Order: sequence, then C-alpha cells, then structure tokens
Amino acid sequence: MLEIGVVDDQGKPIADVAVYATSRSAAHAASPAAGPAPRASMDQQDHQFVPHMLVVQVGTEVTFPNSDDVSHHVYSFSPAKTFELGLYKGNQYPPVEFDQSGIVVLGCNIHDSMLGYIRVVDTPYFAVTNEKGVARLEVPAGDYAVEAWTPRARPQDTPAAHDVSVGAAAAEAQIRIGGRLAPPHAHGHSSLSWERY
Amino acid sequence: MGTLLERLPLALLLAAAVAAPVSAEGDRHEFHVDASAGYVSASTDLTTWTEGGFSKLRYADDGFELFRLFGEYHGRISPTLRVHVVADYLEDASGGLDFTEAALDWRPIPRSRNQHQLRFGAFYPGFSLENGDRGWQSPFTYSYSAINTWIGEEIRPFGAEWSLRRRLQGHRSAHELRAFASAFYGNDPAGTLLFWRGWSLHDRQTRLNDELDIPPMPYQTRPQHLEPFMETDHRPGFYAGGEWRYARRALVQFARYDNRADPYSFSNGQWGWGTDFSHLAVQVELPGGVGLITQWMDGTTEWLTAALPNGTRLPMSQYAQDRFESQFLLLTRQFAAKHRVAVRYDTFSIERPAAVPVLYSDDGDAWTLSYRIEPTERFSGGVEWLRIDTHRDVWPLFYNLPPDQTEDQLRVQFSYRLAAPSRR
Repeated sequence: MLEIGVVDDQGKPIADVAVYATSRSAAHAASPAAGPAPRASMDQQDHQFVPHMLVVQVGTEVTFPNSDDVSHHVYSFSPAKTFELGLYKGNQYPPVEFDQSGIVVLGCNIHDSMLGYIRVVDTPYFAVTNEKGVARLEVPAGDYAVEAWTPRARPQDTPAAHDVSVGAAAAEAQIRIGGRLAPPHAHGHSSLSWERY
Repeated sequence: MGTLLERLPLALLLAAAVAAPVSAEGDRHEFHVDASAGYVSASTDLTTWTEGGFSKLRYADDGFELFRLFGEYHGRISPTLRVHVVADYLEDASGGLDFTEAALDWRPIPRSRNQHQLRFGAFYPGFSLENGDRGWQSPFTYSYSAINTWIGEEIRPFGAEWSLRRRLQGHRSAHELRAFASAFYGNDPAGTLLFWRGWSLHDRQTRLNDELDIPPMPYQTRPQHLEPFMETDHRPGFYAGGEWRYARRALVQFARYDNRADPYSFSNGQWGWGTDFSHLAVQVELPGGVGLITQWMDGTTEWLTAALPNGTRLPMSQYAQDRFESQFLLLTRQFAAKHRVAVRYDTFSIERPAAVPVLYSDDGDAWTLSYRIEPTERFSGGVEWLRIDTHRDVWPLFYNLPPDQTEDQLRVQFSYRLAAPSRR
C-alpha cells in the first residue's frame, strides 16, 4: 500500500486532490484490462456537479445522472474529451467513455455557475485526498511515479512526478503543492441564487 | 406595440407547442404554478399606489390577500432553443390574467471558452440579484428592494439581448467574464411612476399590457393610465454591461441602461420619459454561510412638465430633469436548509439637480426583516416586517399631510408550488 500526503507551502494538508501512481516497472505497466470497462458517475445535484472533481482511469465509462428537478445540458470542449448531453433529466443517456488522459472541464449550457472536473489518468491506481490531505493507493510492490493534481493550483505549480518504491511494507510519501491556491470549492447549498433562469 | 405585447406570448407558446413534438429527448415542456396568499397588516396614512395613491406599500389596509398567482412555462423547441413565458393572475385594479415575461432563449453549445447567448422577446435584464426564483420572485424577502421593485414595475425591454460568456482557463476556470448588450423597443414611459409616486417596495410586477393608476400629481403630462412598456418615439433604447464571477462565491456586475426616449414624444396616451441609469450589483458568499447582496442605481429621467391631454405642448412647457438614486444591502442565511432569515436596508432619493429645489423630492430609507420556512418542496410560509420612512415636500403642499411619513407593513404568507413534470 502507498500512503500519500499532500500539503501546501505552509505544510498544511490539502483535501480533494487527485493522486495517482503510474508503475515504472514494465510488469505492472497499465494494460487494457480484460472484461467490462470501469464505470463511474458524475451526478448533478442542486445545480452542481457531484463530485466537483472525479478521477477515472482511461477507458472508464461515466454516467451523468441529473438528480435536479430542472433539465441540464452537460458539455465539455476540453481536448481530452469533447461531448455534449442535450437537455435532460434523470439518467437517459448512455455513459460517455473517457478514452484519453487529461483534464476535462464540465459545464452546463443552461446554468452558468455549474462547473466540474474529470481528471482522466492512465493508471488504475488513483485516489482523492481526504480532509487530512491523505490518499491511500492499493498498489502492488514496485516502483511508481506519483503525481498530484487539483484545479485549485496553477499549472506551473503542479508538482513533478515523485518516484516512490513500494516494498512488502506500506510506503509513505509527501507531495508539496507550492504557489497560491485558489479557495476550495464550496460544497453544499449556497445561501444565494447564482442562476439566471 | 400594444398588439405585439399582446400577441408575442401566445405566439411563443404556439411555437413551442408545434415544434416541441419534433424535438427528440427529455421533457419538452415544464410547467410551474405558484400561489401565494396570506394576511397583511399595514399602517399608513396614504392610499396605496395600486389605487392611484402615494403610499409606497402595495397594501394600505389590513386583510387577507391573494399576493400572487402565476404560471411559468419552459418549452424546448430544440436542445439549444427554449421558450420562457410567465403569466400572472391579479385581483387589483388592472386585474385578470396577463404575461410578465415572454422570450426566446438561444444558447448554442460552446465550441471554445466563448459562450454566446441570444434572447429575444419581453424579458428582464439580468440586473436584479434578488430575483433569482421562479417567476422573478425573490427567495429572500416577499417585498423586493426599492431598485428591484422599480425594475419590476417599469423596466421590461422588448427586444434582443446578446451576451458572451468566457470562462478562464485551467486553474482560473472558476473565474468567468461576461459581456452583454441589448437593443430594445418600448419602455419609453419608464420613469413616470418612479417620479410621481416615488420609490416603492413591494412584489407586484407589471404585466406586459397592464394599465396602472398613477398618483394625482398636478401636471398636465400626467397620463390617464400608465402603460410603461409602450413605444412613443420609435427610437430604440439600449443597455449594456459586464460581469465578473468567481465560482459560486462572488459576482460583480456593472450596466448602463438608456431608453433614449424623447421627452416631447406622446403616443397612444403615453408620454416618453428619457430615462437612463448606471447600475452596480455585487453578491458574495461570506464565511459562515451568510450571503450578501448589494445593488446601487443612479440615474436621471427627463420629462415634459406641461401639455394638453392630446399631447399639444403649452407655452410654459419645459424639460425637467430629475435624478434618482437608490441602494440596498441584504444579508441572508439559511438554517438546516428549511429556514431562511434575511435583513435588508434600502435608501432611496429623487431630486432635481437644477433650479427648483426639493418640492417634488422623494427621500427615505427602509428596513425589511424576513423569516421563511420551507417544510416541503410544495409548501412554504413566512413572515415579513417592512418599515419605510419617507420625506416628501409635495405632501403638505397638495395633500395636507406632514412631509415625513412612516409606513409599516407586516405580511404573513403561505405559498403552494406545483411543478409538472414533477421531480423524478
């Protein structure tokens, strides 16, 4: 097992950071898994994408259920995946396959304030840091390049890959994200209205 | 113009009904019906403005009232072309059923970080940060701020609005910039009610074909009834502005509005009032779940002081120019998702910058306290206390009332809301 702590310049833990480990050893290199494609879900609740950031492996099929009582029109123009799901409620579209690693920024064509991210990674070993800034990856023993990403950091502050060797015992590593971070995403209900109708 | 305002909403509804079956997926029609009624206890020496008086309150007497009964319709002609119509039923002087909004909204799917939007029809400019609920209601207080009350009364462009939204890149993608511009017809009498009655705080929105009573100010250019959305001079008006947003945390918007009405123009019983204003709006999500909204408006209205009822100018006719200004600060917080409290402080004034001093001025402030509870999605209720303190020199001169008036209103409201199709 690999335990990654993510901290800022002051050494304070950062929650909601995508952490992913890519194997350096050929034996464990990512290979297309046999069987059904992995599935994930990006919900829409209370005019927000839930989760705000989703991490998936390349090849994952993601559904976009709409749990609100108004229609949404989800789209992305990001190079990693360009798609749109025309006005809908509930879960009426087939899942969207994310077949290329990268950052996908999601929006809703009706509700301007809706913003979400899908981080597509080329490895099955990924997690999101908890409140203590810690993510645990269940990886087999071997050498890994560990990376961290959050939409709150500027691209130039996103840390370089961190080499970690995992033996029989659990390994630990710390990643520091420098520079000024944007404030964290405000989860939950807002006390104001942010949408035009 | 009048017939256009009568026919547009029905034409849009018809278009949606005809085109919607062609559209493929999802719900093509969304209906909402909202009914609000309750008890009002008011304390004022003035007659309510809805009956042609000078009170800034919508209700001047105690009693049970139907506050609002409206239906809202969203129809989809195609995935990017939508119809939006709101119809209100009212029981006051110009009662019955009529539309408050009727517009087409086209939002092509963005192919880049630039997102365009085009609106056409009779709609509200997006200035009013309070009025984000269905049917342009406020989720915070029952009575709107002075600024948004006036926008609901006299501002309803009939025209087209283009806007361009640009989301910044990468880590700045929580930031977005928006520019908007509109050219419109109609709305030439805007300013009439504001000047003659003064600022006001309530929730009655003028419907597209309403004929409003106005206070009996001693001017010849007082029309029999006010129809604020008429065109009097065939000169289009405009508004334009810009906005910055940071996620769901902060929004700053600035806009300029000018109906470019000729104050000498007179058509179908309506006088043009050359009205322009600057508007600044800010809303911020503060720590502790407290929401803050503030708006500021500063404008002028030019009008003709004397004429015969048929529009002929009299020799002593002259332009008058009055400056109007208002601002408010609103704080709100929700508790356990079902409860909401809000407090708002408004200030407002109307004055004549030139020569003739304060005779027709309107100067005052208002406090609004509100509590609401929403036990279910369909039912909600609440209580609101409103106090308006006003100084007007016209009252002692013509109406034998002291220049300083305090008006109070306590309102207890129950609302029922129905949506179709309902939530899945």
